[in-house]
Amino acid sequence: MGKTAYKKLKGSQSLRQRLVLSTLANTPLLIQDIRAEDTWPGLRPHEVSLLRLLEKVCDDCVVEINETGTKLKYKPGTIMGGKNLVHDCGVSRSMGYFLEPLILVALFAKKPLSIRLKGITNDSKDPSVDTFRSTTLPMLKHFGVPSEGLELKIESRGAPPRGGGEVILTVPTVEKLMAVNWLDEGMVKRIRGVTFSTRVSSQFENTMIHAARGIFNHLLPDVHIFTDHKAGSQAGKSPGYGISLVAETTSGCFISADTTISYAQGEVGEIEDEEKQELTPPDNVGEQIASFLLEEIEQGGVVDSTHQGLLFLLCALSEPDFSKIRVGKLSAYGIETLRSVRDFLGVTFAIKPDPSTGTVILRGMGCGYKNLSRKVS
Amino acid sequence: MAADTGTTDQSHKTHRTHQSGSSAKKKKSKSDKNNQEKKQNPKAFAFTSSVKAKRLQSRAVEKEQRRLHIPTIDRSYGEPPPYVVVVQGPPQVGKSLLIKSLVKHYTKHNVPEVRGPITIVSGKQRRLQFVECPNDINGMIDCAKFADLALLLIDGSYGFEMETFEFLNLMHNHGLPRVMGVLTHLDKFKDVKKLRKTKQRLKHRFWTEIYDGAKLFYLSGLVHEKYSKREVHNLARFISVMKFPPLSWRTSHPYVLVDRFEDVTLPERVRLNNKCDRNVTIYGYLRGCNLKKGTKVHIAGVGDYSLAGVTGLADPCPLPSAAKKKGLRDKEKLFYAPMSGLGDLLYDKDAVYININDHFVQFSKVDDENGQTSRKGKDQDVGEALVKSLQNTKYSIDEKLEKSFITLFSRKPNGPSETLNDANDTDQDSHHIHGMEPYKQYQSGEEVNADEFGGEHDTEDVDGSDSSDQDGGVKKDDIIRSAIGGSDEDNLMEHVEFIGGRRRRKATFLSDTDHDDLKVLNGGLYLFLSLKESLFLVKYENQHKLAFGTMLTPIIDSACLIECIPFFWEQALELDNQSSCGSDFSDEGEDEGIDVLISDCLVHENISVSELVRFIALLEDGMGNISKWKESLLERTVLRQSTNLMQLVYGKSVSTSATSFNEAQDSSEGEGSEDDEFFKPKGEGNKKLSDGQDSGNVNTEDCSKFKIYGSLKNWKDEEIYESVRDRFVTGDWSKAARRNQSLEANFDDDDVVYGDFEDLETGEKHESRHMDDSSNGAIQNEDESAIEERSRGDIMYQATFGSFDVFQSIVRFVGCCSVSFHGRSEEETDKEHVARFHRGQPKEIGLIDKMKEEIELRKQMNIAELNELDEVTRLEIEGFRTGTYLRLEIHDVPFEMVEYFDPSHPILIGGIGLGEENVGYMQARLKRHRWHRKVLKTRDPIIVSIGWRRFQTMPVYAIEDQNGRHRMLKYTPEHMHCLAMFWGPLAPPKTGVVAVQNLSNSQAAFRITATAVILEFNHEAKIKKKIKLVGYPCKIFKKTALIKDMFTSDLEVAQCEGKEIRTVSGIRGQIKKAAKEEIGNQPKRKGGQPREGIARCTFEDRILMSDIVFMRGWADVEVPCFYNPLTTALQPRDKVWQGMKTVSELRREHNMSIPVNKDSLYKPIERKPRKFNPLVIPKTLQAALPFASKPKDIPSRKRPLLENRRAVVMEPHERKVHALVQHLQLIRNEKMKKRKLKEEQKRKELDVEKAKDELLTRKRQREERRERYRVQDKAKKKMRRHAEA
Repeated sequence: MGKTAYKKLKGSQSLRQRLVLSTLANTPLLIQDIRAEDTWPGLRPHEVSLLRLLEKVCDDCVVEINETGTKLKYKPGTIMGGKNLVHDCGVSRSMGYFLEPLILVALFAKKPLSIRLKGITNDSKDPSVDTFRSTTLPMLKHFGVPSEGLELKIESRGAPPRGGGEVILTVPTVEKLMAVNWLDEGMVKRIRGVTFSTRVSSQFENTMIHAARGIFNHLLPDVHIFTDHKAGSQAGKSPGYGISLVAETTSGCFISADTTISYAQGEVGEIEDEEKQELTPPDNVGEQIASFLLEEIEQGGVVDSTHQGLLFLLCALSEPDFSKIRVGKLSAYGIETLRSVRDFLGVTFAIKPDPSTGTVILRGMGCGYKNLSRKVS
Repeated sequence: MAADTGTTDQSHKTHRTHQSGSSAKKKKSKSDKNNQEKKQNPKAFAFTSSVKAKRLQSRAVEKEQRRLHIPTIDRSYGEPPPYVVVVQGPPQVGKSLLIKSLVKHYTKHNVPEVRGPITIVSGKQRRLQFVECPNDINGMIDCAKFADLALLLIDGSYGFEMETFEFLNLMHNHGLPRVMGVLTHLDKFKDVKKLRKTKQRLKHRFWTEIYDGAKLFYLSGLVHEKYSKREVHNLARFISVMKFPPLSWRTSHPYVLVDRFEDVTLPERVRLNNKCDRNVTIYGYLRGCNLKKGTKVHIAGVGDYSLAGVTGLADPCPLPSAAKKKGLRDKEKLFYAPMSGLGDLLYDKDAVYININDHFVQFSKVDDENGQTSRKGKDQDVGEALVKSLQNTKYSIDEKLEKSFITLFSRKPNGPSETLNDANDTDQDSHHIHGMEPYKQYQSGEEVNADEFGGEHDTEDVDGSDSSDQDGGVKKDDIIRSAIGGSDEDNLMEHVEFIGGRRRRKATFLSDTDHDDLKVLNGGLYLFLSLKESLFLVKYENQHKLAFGTMLTPIIDSACLIECIPFFWEQALELDNQSSCGSDFSDEGEDEGIDVLISDCLVHENISVSELVRFIALLEDGMGNISKWKESLLERTVLRQSTNLMQLVYGKSVSTSATSFNEAQDSSEGEGSEDDEFFKPKGEGNKKLSDGQDSGNVNTEDCSKFKIYGSLKNWKDEEIYESVRDRFVTGDWSKAARRNQSLEANFDDDDVVYGDFEDLETGEKHESRHMDDSSNGAIQNEDESAIEERSRGDIMYQATFGSFDVFQSIVRFVGCCSVSFHGRSEEETDKEHVARFHRGQPKEIGLIDKMKEEIELRKQMNIAELNELDEVTRLEIEGFRTGTYLRLEIHDVPFEMVEYFDPSHPILIGGIGLGEENVGYMQARLKRHRWHRKVLKTRDPIIVSIGWRRFQTMPVYAIEDQNGRHRMLKYTPEHMHCLAMFWGPLAPPKTGVVAVQNLSNSQAAFRITATAVILEFNHEAKIKKKIKLVGYPCKIFKKTALIKDMFTSDLEVAQCEGKEIRTVSGIRGQIKKAAKEEIGNQPKRKGGQPREGIARCTFEDRILMSDIVFMRGWADVEVPCFYNPLTTALQPRDKVWQGMKTVSELRREHNMSIPVNKDSLYKPIERKPRKFNPLVIPKTLQAALPFASKPKDIPSRKRPLLENRRAVVMEPHERKVHALVQHLQLIRNEKMKKRKLKEEQKRKELDVEKAKDELLTRKRQREERRERYRVQDKAKKKMRRHAEA
């Protein structure tokens, strides 16, 4: 069909959503000026790794990066999925960075996906794999994704900076997503959580749990936080500890908060020195995350601020019915997602604040995305 | 008794019943029937066996199941577009006549000729669009794609023709719409019996093609060159009751059947280069699904284009108002057929064309006949213009006025027109709303217009002193402008055009004005003052509202309006107060002032219009109510905030899109975010920066997690953690319930909930508390009910999550719809009961019913949601609704489309779904049509019709082997499906495909060559074909051999290492490696290179030099990346489109024979008898063998054995005995001989006897038979005679 018309974009912002939407909507992308002004210009290793991951999952997708890495040409192909794939995510970002786009793409693949990801499992920047397991996967069920075959198995953990964790993600394929009417946040009925520690004393975990429970005890008796102490080969290559908390409400919403404490990654010079001197003590971590979870709950909305983007994407991809969702205050990431969705899929949401609760209600019609690559038998 | 009769009376002849003839038969049958009835014992026919009962039951159930379909959701919420009735049939069968008759029936108008779609209003709820299907296959393919009902006209006197079956086949594959057969030319039958038989025959044939019982309609003949009225009436009734099922392809793709087509290229460009690419506008109803902005379209027969502009126009053929009455009034029997040159009104987005026939023009000053002289505005008097505009519009003069008023705000995105319209006609009809759409689009339309006409409109004056003659195009060659001095008709103008000999009067509204005023009035303080003045003007001189309007406009444009707004409100309140006190000035003027006010505010603030309707209604029914005033202001503030939030997120960029989706953005954009401190999303700073997309943060880190650990509250503090207590199950459930409920309350009656305006601004906390305080009885009620509902809902949730969702949506929907609270709660409980019942007995309700219910709920929810949105957002979210009359502007189409445009060939414009514009390989399950004579050859180009497209492509046929391999086929199988791989624009799986090879009309045979369905698409086509490499041994070691001629290079050998090979005789082996020099691959000459491509192979046994070795493998087959869109609309319609030719066609043209490979010819096999050497067993082996296995060949003796050689001399006694024995034997032999002879004789005699008997019997039998036949024949003859009699 002659020349491909590329959608021209600038900058490295919201690269993940752009790539996902470009793959789903089959729109070739041309991104220019990627950190062109920086001292270290071009794509970061994790972004390149994400592109490689997409190449792995898709067939016939073409990625061209110029020498400095400031220009990216991406021509999406057919999403294939498949079994026994392996991807090394590198150590510049944790798996949370990769999982979110991957799961969206894999839902609309030709075959169910089963992939082994290697790298950092928990990190303070991105949602941890525990959060993904406890919050993100249940969220998909609202959209009609079957729960069988939707799984994340943590084989071993890896904390930054050197990683060494391994997870296996399996995602089934769907034909289409259902529109949701998801306004009822419900009330928090139980709080669950997982702490982990690699290459540090397991006592750290108990301290964190104790601290976190101290905060919740005023509010809710049903608080269970599990420990997951890894040792030996399962513990990855770096020491670290962290916690992931999930509040489950009566209406089936999951609100999560997590963090990881470890020696920071080498690339950020200044912070490295500071953090090397002292890591946040575990009791502070527990308190902090518990408070953060409470803050998320206070904010309202059916998902936490981390999952807003994913929620919007899922709504935009659903059947052409009205989706109604309530979220807390819009996060910057959510707003970026809304914009990307508008640009790629032409889906606009009517955004209306609900002043009485301080939440935002989004209403929009899905674009009716259908899994075209699936074979009919 | 006999004696009596005999004596007394004369004997009457007794009645003799008829023994033969029809009456006898009648009696007989009657009596038979009676007998049967008597015999009919109901018990006898009831089934007695349980097996039979079971079988019958299962059959009934099966039948029921077959009836069921998975319900589909119908997502078209507005008024449905006119149903397309395609009239199809072979030439000369009466298609046009049928359309003419039907149109005559519906509208009482005669249509001179049928060109293009004709839209009519056929009933209160139904509009129809008649399209005549052209006779070429391309037209038929397109028609099959948009038909809602196909009337297949069949010449009864001739029978079926191939066109009918072709069309049926096309429809079957592209989604079968409703089909009705119509038999015509039945008056050619003179014999009634023959007619009846023909009808019967044709009906049954028709049934086999569609389904048993398909309707076949008979049109018996012509009356006054038309079909008889009664029959047309009946046909119309059949059409009117028809239901149209949704078809999956069409419900997922928007499409437009073009009923008006115009070239809007700059005349200058055309003049300079006649063959330049043209800009065209296309009009038609939107069907299928909603059209979103940015959708690409495919014009059938032209290609893919992106839409340069989409505008919703007023419905040219609206449905009558929903008032309760029987039937249609004559006034409402509208019809619209611009291509046929019918209908009086043509709507454009910026103009209404009024077509007035000369004999309708009855006012005094008739325009000059030639219309060449353009008259200045002064010449035409006011009344004339008024009369003209009155004559043909359906809008009242008031409405028109309003519309003309609108145009004053030319630069404002949010047409205040609607405001005004709505303000004035509160009793608006549903179709009226559609009517307002074009005016809403003015702003963007203006720009387009400016482009079209050289962008010089800006210079135009307010008072319309003529300056628009600059657009002296071909079409608009003559323009008369009337500028009317009176305040009433200020802006209405007329253009008179001559298009194709027909006079059109273009009524344009002055829309691009007052830029000069703007300049004059622009200025800070002065402006403010003038505003005040103008407002007072309104108060006291309400006659000059329009003047006021003109004054306001520049103000709005100016940047300093913010300051004015509070003043505005003040004024408004003041106004209000005054009116409530019963001030003396007229209501009307005040109305107007407020309206203007509001519209201005709105324009400024981008408040959606539909929300305002309510507001204005409020205003109108209770002007004096101050609190209401306040409430509505409040409402507006809330609204504004929501809009602002959307603006914050989506920013400016929306309005930059080329389509004329109304986006409210103007110079005063900045203020929007300024004055809403009350709701500030997190990360606001970020957002504001990113609003200007080009600022530095394009490289912000991509991170979904959002954290600020630093600013965490101290959650150990009791006060703080108590504040979220209610979000936990340990907290107050009622409060939590209210939290969720508030949304619904919000929708129901915002005014009440939101208490006071001041509170809103102080902050959310305060606001929510305030809400709690506001102890309105109704609210409390509602809250309690909400709590109740919630707790119930929770119980239900625990049971099933999904049903809870659904339930909630019911509740919400009901909540939105019902007016009174009490009525609502009742309904709720009802629904709930229903829901409970459903859950309790899931088995009783079928799965299908449940699905249907869910779909209905979803639909209702969607409708409710849509109704809640204002016009602009709705358009943005759902796009243009189906049923809207659209004007599509498409740029840069080839000029041929305009040049060869033929209205009798309908143009189909189909929307392209996500990813459907990409090209790639598709895999289809294909079957050659059984009526197509030849099988199809791989790589012979065929023309396929998929989705909206038609294109030529080169398929490779394949079949799936048992191991999943796709093996190439050279030809399609005879009576089987096969796979076809081809390259082309992708279509989603399950799409139907029709293939044709020849487009010409002259081809007598069936034109459809194959039908298929898309299975999947892929980036690569994995088709393999068998390959057999043959080689010969060049050197043989023990079990190893070097094979030559199989490969040409060592590289090839390396690739095939480890592959299995075999000799013809069946010895299996394996390829090892390329042969090296040292093991025998010697060069021919000393010092030369060893030969390449010799493979060393091992076998399970030693092979011979005479053996042939072969290797079997699979080679990839490439599917050619070729597709050629059919550009049939870009050439004269009578020309046959010529694409790529097939190989056989080329051979025929160039007179080339089919190449023959000699080796492939079959020859008789000559096999020489093979001579084998004698088997030699080595001596050592022989010695080792057991005796049984030892070869026992004893060498033959040279001399006979002694026993044979010696002579025997008998003794005398012995001799005697020997002689005796010989005698005895002789005697016995003699005896036997004699006996044999005797037996022979006897048998012969017997045979003779038998033959005689046989003869006799045969004779007798013949006689008997003859007799029998004679009797039978007689009886038959008798019967026949009876029958004939």
